[in-house]
Amino acid sequence: MGSRLAILWAVLVLAVGMHQVSFWRSTRLDTDVLALLPEDEQAPEVGAATRRLADEAGRELVLLVGGPDWPAAQRAAEVAARALSDSGAPLEPSALDASALEDAVAFYLPYRDRLLTPGQREWLARASEKELEATALMKLYQPAGPRLTAWNADPLGLWPDWWAARAAESVARPREGRLWLSGEGREWVLLSYRGTVSSFALGEQGAVSAAVARARAAVLSAVPGGRLVAAGVPLYVEAAAAQASWEMSTIGLGSLLAVLLLVWLTFRSVRPIVLIGVSLLVGSAIALSVTALLFERVHLLTLVFGATLVGVAEDYGFHYFAARTGRPASERRSLMRSLLPGMALALLTSVVAYLALGLAPFPGLRQMAVFASAGLLGAFLTVVCWFPLADYGELPVTRFAERVSTALGRWPRFGLGLRSGLVLGGLLVLTAGGLWRLQSRDDLRQLQNAPAALVADQRELGRLLALPSPAQFFLVEGADAEQTLVRESALKQRLDALVAEGALAGYRAVSDWLPPAEQQRADQALSARAEQTVLAAVATATGEELQRAAFAAGTLTPEQLLSSPVGRAVRQQWLGQVGDRQLSVLMLNGLNDASVLPRLARAADGLQGVRWVDKTEEVSRLLGRYRRVMTGLLVAGYAAVLVLLALRFRRQALRAWVPSALGSLVTLGVLGWMGEPLQLFTVLGLVVLLGMGVDYGIFLLEHPGDDSTWLAVALAGVSTFLSFGLLALSATPALRSFGLTMLVGEVTIWMLTPCFRPLPHQERT
Amino acid sequence: MRRLLTLLWLLLCTPALAADLAADVRARLVDAPVLRGSFEQQKTVAGFKKPLVSRGDFLVVRDQGVLWNTRSPFASSLTVTRKSLRAEQEGGAAYQLESTREPALTAVNELLLALVSGDLSVLATRFRLEGELVAKGGWKLTLIPTDASVSRLFRRVRLEGDTFVRQVELEEVRGDSTRILFDQLAQTPPPGPAELERLGK
Repeated sequence: MGSRLAILWAVLVLAVGMHQVSFWRSTRLDTDVLALLPEDEQAPEVGAATRRLADEAGRELVLLVGGPDWPAAQRAAEVAARALSDSGAPLEPSALDASALEDAVAFYLPYRDRLLTPGQREWLARASEKELEATALMKLYQPAGPRLTAWNADPLGLWPDWWAARAAESVARPREGRLWLSGEGREWVLLSYRGTVSSFALGEQGAVSAAVARARAAVLSAVPGGRLVAAGVPLYVEAAAAQASWEMSTIGLGSLLAVLLLVWLTFRSVRPIVLIGVSLLVGSAIALSVTALLFERVHLLTLVFGATLVGVAEDYGFHYFAARTGRPASERRSLMRSLLPGMALALLTSVVAYLALGLAPFPGLRQMAVFASAGLLGAFLTVVCWFPLADYGELPVTRFAERVSTALGRWPRFGLGLRSGLVLGGLLVLTAGGLWRLQSRDDLRQLQNAPAALVADQRELGRLLALPSPAQFFLVEGADAEQTLVRESALKQRLDALVAEGALAGYRAVSDWLPPAEQQRADQALSARAEQTVLAAVATATGEELQRAAFAAGTLTPEQLLSSPVGRAVRQQWLGQVGDRQLSVLMLNGLNDASVLPRLARAADGLQGVRWVDKTEEVSRLLGRYRRVMTGLLVAGYAAVLVLLALRFRRQALRAWVPSALGSLVTLGVLGWMGEPLQLFTVLGLVVLLGMGVDYGIFLLEHPGDDSTWLAVALAGVSTFLSFGLLALSATPALRSFGLTMLVGEVTIWMLTPCFRPLPHQERT
Repeated sequence: MRRLLTLLWLLLCTPALAADLAADVRARLVDAPVLRGSFEQQKTVAGFKKPLVSRGDFLVVRDQGVLWNTRSPFASSLTVTRKSLRAEQEGGAAYQLESTREPALTAVNELLLALVSGDLSVLATRFRLEGELVAKGGWKLTLIPTDASVSRLFRRVRLEGDTFVRQVELEEVRGDSTRILFDQLAQTPPPGPAELERLGK
């Protein structure tokens, strides 16, 4: 029976091994930081908008290269551009240059008569015929005033002003063939690049980051007082990937070495090392394969989290070998049978706790839950199916193991005496004090771990360029494109007031580049009337016959704009058809002041089809809600585990349950004293802690007075402590607080559990 | 043999020659911090059969700007400084551009200032100079834009003069052209308070 199971398990493991080979050959790991973000529950279209913005913006790399004066800035830009093109990084310069501007002018030319700025609209409506004529003549007689069209296509010179208004969306201005801006004591050249591969295909090699670093070094050495500031998703992705893979290997290797060292110290035999190593390897492989089959991509952070699995999955192997020491090899099957109920119960509580993580709608968390559960199950089955077969030799008791085992006898035990009461009371008072200080924080920042230098660069660029924020925007919807554009225009009128008083630098709206058809027709009529008047007057004044130029017959449609190269500017903001609505995104420039946000939110009040979206605040709200939901779940989980334990251990159940419950409270108290905030990931840590902490109690109750059990619990505690201790060093705040919670909780529960052990003479009732 | 060597030397040294030419022209120009005069401007504009002729007077103050007062066919004034371009006309028509916001305008303004005052060192940064010295202290220059932002506006600029710039011809890329003849050039009187105020705005 046992050998048949072992063969079946071997076949399964072989299949997993084959899957592993193909996985590592083909799949790239997902390094997208956004994958950790929760799915939008209320509004799928908001999710679509954010994703679209993220995809479009995801390939952009923006650099500002500066120097103390304009010639220095130009030289620095030249040096940086050369360094980037020589680097071989997957980047291409984006067409932000003058030729793109000429294409745009040519594209809009047939529609020139229906593109007016609000100021021009107002002026044309009120200007007298005399004023119109005088303006036209003045511009006509000026020495070489640069014009974008033939004179009769724009006799009042309105067109350059419309372009000036469009150009105002960007702080940078064309200057001698480059994009220039001045700020913070330097002259800058704006360089922009686009990734030739999707950002999320960028790996930890950091091709883009390395190229930027080389360009920076080149600028600093070639130009005194030079500076290069870079920002873009590719840099973040590469930094995160490098960070995560470093953490993964550190935590994984660190725990593995610690575990193997412990095994060696305890058993002084190669066999347990090999077998426990195999169980960990199989567990990790199965975890990865199951995750890869269930999810499209495996996230790197999943592997970082999964690396801590090593410190948990070896518990089963420890447990078996601790019981096996000093026993004859012939007893190993009956030994396994006697261990099985306790191990299965321990596995069940752990898996249930991990799967509870997946209840929160965070794709990243779900992956971690699946990964950890599959890994534990794989390690457990390896121990159960293979160990009795492969473990044929003798295993004498070592001195180290003996010393650890007998230590249990000297461990303090809580009784009903005064001393126990005082110790427990003191512990509770300290815990209460910490809980009193505990603050909750549901900040989006717990999901980010960008290097400080990158964040500083991003801030500086944002200040200099007044870049639009990808996290706050207005979403405008209508039954058709026209209605969407009309509604957007209404919103712009309200925002113009905020721009006028300086609360906002400006905005980017599709309707600036594509006025609603009704507006186009009105402006067309307005400019036609004024320009006919002007042409007649100038013809009289100069004695010429003048004809107004012909313009396009129809209005400019969204299809025309979006299918042209010029449409690139607005394509990411025009979401088009989503469900039965047409959607557009209006982005805000230079939003550096959080106090403006409520006023912006109010700008959407009473406007139909206009919605204010603040992703940052939304995610924080979601994190807060799930923190509360998971806290409720945690309490329910403790109740359920108590019922499970009571079914098996009757009145003794509390001995396994109280240490975990108490340990969780103490952990929160410690976090409170440490000044660590209570956040979703703290609660998630407590959930997993419930699943694992109870295991110690289970093992000690299953085999009361059995010293070998204590050996297993001691080893398991130390190895788990190590792996989560390493996770607490992670640079991702979420993983760090998870690890910290686990670390403190683990140690506390591990120390408390033996205090609640039954007396040796107490048999199970 | 010596002539051949001279010829070779000339072929190898054309850039130096251009620099020499600029130096020679500069030597013939009078260094005038203030310059007044009258102008006649002929603009050839697509769609107009006849050139548009306007007349008036002007004032150039070095490092400050140009006042361009058109008297006929109607009165209007243009003020160009490094910082802005301002135009006003009877009847209330007016507009103003700030070069702090539009650097392209700075380039155009610098160019206009340099053309009227014959500031060759500024021109040489944006144009390739070709030309010749002519008898009686005169000179002719053709300026070919080397700067991308200028070459999008002008195909070429021609200058003629002696101790002063006497004629400027601007050929625009769009086919329009402007020819300005200067006359009655003088370095006095210095700018009056009203003129200084216009330049200082």
